[in-house]
Amino acid sequence: MSDTTTSSRLSLLPRLRLWRSGLRGDAMLFAGLAMVGVLAVLALTVGLNPPREATTGNLRMRFRPPGTEGYLFGTDQLGRSVAGRVGAGMIWSLGIALVAATIALSIGTVLGLVAAWTPGWPRRVIRTVVDTVIAFPSLVIAVTVIALLGRGFWPLAITLGLATWPIAARVVYAEAMSIARRDYVVAAQLAGVGPVTILATHVLPALRPTLMTMFAFTFADMLVAESALSFLGLGVPITAPSWGNMLSESREYLVEAPWLMLAPAGAIVFAVVALNLIGDGIAANARKRGRAAM
Amino acid sequence: MTRSSAIRDAMLKRVTELAVLLFAITTLLFFLLRLGGDPAMIMAGDEADPEVVALIRARYGLDQPLIVQYLRYLGAMLTLDFGESLRASRSALGLVLERLWSTLLLALLALLITAVLSIPLGAWLGYRPDSGDRKAVNAVVFVLQGIPGYIAGLLLIQLFVVELRWLTSIGNQGISSWILPSLTLASFLVPKMVRVISANVSEAMREDYIRTARATGASGPELLLRHALPNALLGATALIGTQFAFLMSGSLITEVIFAWPGFGALLVASVTRLDFPVVQAAVFVIAVLVFLVNAGTDILFNLIDPRLRRQTT
Repeated sequence: MSDTTTSSRLSLLPRLRLWRSGLRGDAMLFAGLAMVGVLAVLALTVGLNPPREATTGNLRMRFRPPGTEGYLFGTDQLGRSVAGRVGAGMIWSLGIALVAATIALSIGTVLGLVAAWTPGWPRRVIRTVVDTVIAFPSLVIAVTVIALLGRGFWPLAITLGLATWPIAARVVYAEAMSIARRDYVVAAQLAGVGPVTILATHVLPALRPTLMTMFAFTFADMLVAESALSFLGLGVPITAPSWGNMLSESREYLVEAPWLMLAPAGAIVFAVVALNLIGDGIAANARKRGRAAM
Repeated sequence: MTRSSAIRDAMLKRVTELAVLLFAITTLLFFLLRLGGDPAMIMAGDEADPEVVALIRARYGLDQPLIVQYLRYLGAMLTLDFGESLRASRSALGLVLERLWSTLLLALLALLITAVLSIPLGAWLGYRPDSGDRKAVNAVVFVLQGIPGYIAGLLLIQLFVVELRWLTSIGNQGISSWILPSLTLASFLVPKMVRVISANVSEAMREDYIRTARATGASGPELLLRHALPNALLGATALIGTQFAFLMSGSLITEVIFAWPGFGALLVASVTRLDFPVVQAAVFVIAVLVFLVNAGTDILFNLIDPRLRRQTT
């Protein structure tokens, strides 16, 4: 978070001006939103109200391959519907990621803005904390904290959120500092507009695309982190059908039933690609508008 | 400000950060351990004899007031004394250091693979980002980027171990067993690096010095290799410091998947078994390692980037 040339180039942000894929922003945004829409509908229907086949096993129906009558993705070692379990897992996997991303972004935005708006010790303290935490592998901390606090939806969501906010704080700080140097903000300051009004009317609106992009990317990161922790056996309770848990269980049956791994893996990749499309789409559109305005 | 004093200041800042980090982490671990329950009970197990628990409490000084325990703990930490592993009755730090090389080997191989794959691809993509074939490749890179590293590892195992039976996926049994774990670890970095390098190259291609070089008659490949790429790579290498922390997170899960004998797998196992001395030693070693890599890249940058050289005089 420091302004020196070396460190600012070290920042790894989804910088808005960074990547030109040649893909159109609107197209990416549309595809991403459609995919997320599918996930949301499934989460609210199958996820909240999983079918009986997802929770109750049927030992006569073990290891049926995908496409078996009534079992889109086949069945697992207990004869449960894999498709049903992937659906039921959405509440865990997507829910935890959503809460964690919200926590990370809320704390990060507030502290990033505080650091940008208050020169002196608040800025120094926040920057030191951010620099320190960012340099450390967050999974290492998360693993340890979860082991001590116990598994479950809330411990996991809160731990992931608290381990991730410094990244959001760094991005918001850097963006806010650059917005604060823009002509219209400087003009407003010279005209005697108060700092809070400037923040509300000029800075926050200009920050919006950054925040939305970051939310999409953070959501995706948290989804991956949740599934990784569950995979390591340090995430949600072992019996919960989260995608990471399903992946972890599937490792014993890679030979006889690869679909046990491919179904949750596909779900994770689908969700991450959808969120990346939204994030990059927003960024591409903001970039285009920025260039048109110049 | 001279260059050497700039480096010294940067180092001082990094050392302060390391000290703050280690202090914060050890404190966090200390209090979390006590928040999570009576450590003596955790060590002894749920159905332990009260006498055994009392014995453990006395042996580890857990009968002292909390503040005394904390100060003692900090003191021990300063002398790198993490105590003995609760399971192996060996020095916790020794257990971790013994596995250091396996982890570093994997990390270095992964960095090497990342460089070999992402530099040519990133340069090619960034050279003319709007051409048709590159758009298609970009779309593929985009989807690959959505595959988390450890899932890539599982897919690699499914393909090369289960289906094709070409490779093994358990432990370190010589060079052929290095391939899949290092590819897996590299897959945590490759898509990101391709993106960064291609973005840097395409940005560099729009710079004034490229226009000047083009005007003086430099050919396309020459523009890319002599002018745009070195600049792009400089920016990308700067990321190695931050990416190294990410790589350590990745090695945690990669080592578990491949039963690789590094300290990432040791950390996960120790966390699960509540073997706190080993957890503390492992976290400490990782923090120091990340610090060294970051400090190393910082120094390297001050030495090789001519722009920084000019700026700091």
